[in-house]
Amino acid sequence: MATVTFEDATRIYPKTDRPAVDELNLEVHDGELLVLVGPSGCGKTTTLRMLAGLEHVDEGAILIDGKDVVKLPPRDRDIAMVFQNYALYPHMNVAENMGFALRMAGVHKAEIVERVRAAAKILDIEEFLERKPRQLSGGQRQRVAMGRAIVRQPRVFLMDEPLSNLDAKLRVATRAEIAGLQRQLGVTTLYVTHDQVEAMTMGDRVAVMKDGLLQQCDTPRALYADPVNAFVAGFIGSPAMNLLQGTVEAGGVRIASTVIPVAGGLPKAVGEAVTVGLRPESLSLAPAGDGLPVVVTIVEELGAEAFVHAQLANQTADAVKANIIARAEPLAAPDKGDVIHLHVKEGSMLFFDAVSGDRIASRS
Amino acid sequence: MTVPGERASARRGRHPGKRREPPPAGTSRTAGYFFVALYVALLILLGIVPVVYAIYLALSHPAAGSGPGFIGTFSDYRFLPAFKHVTEFMAYWLISQTILVVGLVLMLHSLTSRVGAVYRFLFYIPGALAGAASVIVWLFLLDPSASPFAFVLHWLGYAQFNNAIAPSNLPVIFALMAFWTGAGGWIVVMYGALNNIPHELLESAQMDGANAFNTALRIKLPLIRKWVVYMLVLSFAGGTQLFVEPAVLGTASLGVGISKYWSPNQLAWFVASQYSYYNQAAAISLDLLVFGLVIAAVLVWRGRLFEVE
Amino acid sequence: MTIPRRYLFRLVAFAILLIFTAFFVVPIVWLFLAPTKTDGQLLNRSPFAFGSLSTLAHTFHTVVTYNGHSVLIWLKNSAIYSFGGTALAVLAAIPAGYGLALTQFIGRRALLATTLVVMIMPATALVLPLFLEMDKIGLYGTIWALILPFGFFPFGVYLTYIYFSSTIPKDLLAAARIDGAGEWRVFRYIALPLARPIVALVGFFAFVASWNNFFLPFVMTYDNSKYPLQIGLQQLIGSTASFNPANFSAGSSVVVLHRPDLAMAVIIAIAPVLIVFLFAQRALVSGMLAGATKE
Repeated sequence: MATVTFEDATRIYPKTDRPAVDELNLEVHDGELLVLVGPSGCGKTTTLRMLAGLEHVDEGAILIDGKDVVKLPPRDRDIAMVFQNYALYPHMNVAENMGFALRMAGVHKAEIVERVRAAAKILDIEEFLERKPRQLSGGQRQRVAMGRAIVRQPRVFLMDEPLSNLDAKLRVATRAEIAGLQRQLGVTTLYVTHDQVEAMTMGDRVAVMKDGLLQQCDTPRALYADPVNAFVAGFIGSPAMNLLQGTVEAGGVRIASTVIPVAGGLPKAVGEAVTVGLRPESLSLAPAGDGLPVVVTIVEELGAEAFVHAQLANQTADAVKANIIARAEPLAAPDKGDVIHLHVKEGSMLFFDAVSGDRIASRS
Repeated sequence: MTVPGERASARRGRHPGKRREPPPAGTSRTAGYFFVALYVALLILLGIVPVVYAIYLALSHPAAGSGPGFIGTFSDYRFLPAFKHVTEFMAYWLISQTILVVGLVLMLHSLTSRVGAVYRFLFYIPGALAGAASVIVWLFLLDPSASPFAFVLHWLGYAQFNNAIAPSNLPVIFALMAFWTGAGGWIVVMYGALNNIPHELLESAQMDGANAFNTALRIKLPLIRKWVVYMLVLSFAGGTQLFVEPAVLGTASLGVGISKYWSPNQLAWFVASQYSYYNQAAAISLDLLVFGLVIAAVLVWRGRLFEVE
Repeated sequence: MTIPRRYLFRLVAFAILLIFTAFFVVPIVWLFLAPTKTDGQLLNRSPFAFGSLSTLAHTFHTVVTYNGHSVLIWLKNSAIYSFGGTALAVLAAIPAGYGLALTQFIGRRALLATTLVVMIMPATALVLPLFLEMDKIGLYGTIWALILPFGFFPFGVYLTYIYFSSTIPKDLLAAARIDGAGEWRVFRYIALPLARPIVALVGFFAFVASWNNFFLPFVMTYDNSKYPLQIGLQQLIGSTASFNPANFSAGSSVVVLHRPDLAMAVIIAIAPVLIVFLFAQRALVSGMLAGATKE
């Protein structure tokens, strides 16, 4: 049980100008599963490895239970890591793999056997204890990797994209298992993934990173409903939030040639550009004259719902062709080529500064 | 060595269920023969025919005056000592080479790559010296009056060259020579094999609390076990064929009288060149050949080291 | 204050590495310095002392002119045998490796297996049977007795086989065949242009093996004019005073060689291989690791 705190933690690779991790300030609460998510190169894996001790920390501190561990080698930090490719020792069988760290720590053989068996039981891999990794399937190897971490009873778990090598179906099933296991064991966990669905479904809180900088760290719900900038808004949620160019008008905002009223107005001058965020489910099919006119390009039928891809009609000549995605009921989906109108749900628009991407306070 | 066709049909008999794969669409079945033609010609001329001829010579009854045949070889009073010499040499060589090469390469692997590269390069240079050249260098090294290692020789009690190359020391000397020229190359190869270990495994070991020593012993070493075996077996097979070093050293014997048939290969050559006992020479070289062949076959089929597909 | 264990280990490791470095390197350094000193200087001065350039020139001259420029004759022979053998080896091995890798014919697997077995078997095992055969068919004493065996290079075939198997996707060949290319064209226009690295690799190994070979030339040549450098070196030992004093009586008119001269001869003998070695470490690794199955 432990808290993990990053204080201005920075990592700059030699011969690069931009830090891989830039003055990160983040706290992982005791017993929580915090997911680090972001596009490739955002610094999430580097952050994890800094905590592991596999990556040098150039500036700042990393505290586990209040004690700075930056100068400690990995084995003195009392942490366990699940690697993306599992990193199972091919020449040892499952039991030996799981017991290796304990053996290094000088634990008595009898106790090692006991703890390995207990961990294997939790993960349902008892029958594989004598087998070698090459005799196991991907999913089984993943469990062994987890078992190896669990058996050490560390203060913190680190997980580096543990699901990315599994096929899609297995991934969904294992996702829930890992989350459930973490809850059962109650060990503080830092989990890295590039998949925002994984992040949203598993994390107690999710930290979104981009270009080495922490964008926002919040519960999934808060991230979804209350993103702090355009990047987070566009990253979280699938299909992605529509981010449209808009111009401030009196009492509203103009998108293409349609003005949508904004209750309370915007703290910006008329004529200024602004980025408008609209989630697909905030848009619904409407009768002509109400809402944004669009031309349908593709309809994705998913069974329980449909997503309508469309282009804004009446765009000005120099405007970038804006694509928009709206959610529709499966039986009421329009056809390709139709001109339809999309009604914007009250209070669902989010506004972001057109230049910096930061969230602008007012909502409609 | 059996004729290829024989071996192929024997194998086909053992796997009756195996289909022969059809050629890729549009390819001819005969073009392949043209590509391998020159090589196969060389293989037959220089691999198969000599062996067949040697078998014939070894097994045939000797004409009058051409020396004892196959059975006679073993009773030759010189055969057993030659065999003993080579066995002693190999014991010293193989044991020390295995321990030292493995120890050195593990040590080098834990250094930063640039420093390790320098060491590896330096260890590798003596490999450029072939048999005769390396013997000459060692002749200098073993002479207390001129050797840069004179202090070692004096410490061992050898004040004179004759003492240093006394016949009882020969197995050790040849082992030293073999190690000096061969170790570097094997270190380079093993280092390459160590580099094939996924980095994640070593990081995982780090996280599991293994220090450099434990990582080397419990993770790296088991993962290069194949290569250590390969080195051992290749050296073993090659060691039995020892010829150059004793032959060249013999030319500098200074009256100490290193035997002209110190190793089995030397004996074979000796009886062939001195007495024209071709049958006997053929027999000895066949013994050595079969020995090398068996080891090679075992390594190919059971060693899982090469792909044969 | 006791030194922490970690540093102690490092010190010991460093000491061990230093000792072995000395073991491997000192003889080479000594070898290169030896021709710059006279025999007397070799005995009296430090092994690492540099003599003089004029002594070096003198030693070089002595060695090269010895016995009617024998060294140059041997050098020429080594070059002929090695380059000839290497050329033949490459000429045979590259197409053969290609054939084994990318064509189908009856006996392909058998040929591959045979190649593997012969390749692992020590080459010296074949020398005496080869001698017997060459003697029988009358090639004994000719350069073909050396060039042909040097040209038989199963290891080169195996390397080429691995190379072509792994660098040319079968689909590429299928596409070419569909485009109407015959087998020879496929080889000539698709495989061959990609083969430069493997030609270099096979050439490297074949050259080193041929140049350094002792046993085969020892058996196959009997005349000074036919010896390669390796055999020549052995002859020189016989003429070196310090190693065979019994051969030389005082006042004899035979040119006697001394240690520096012998050292110079060794340097000449190993020079080509040493140069190639300096550039070929990577080749060695890729050659030895070629095709080895991963865990």
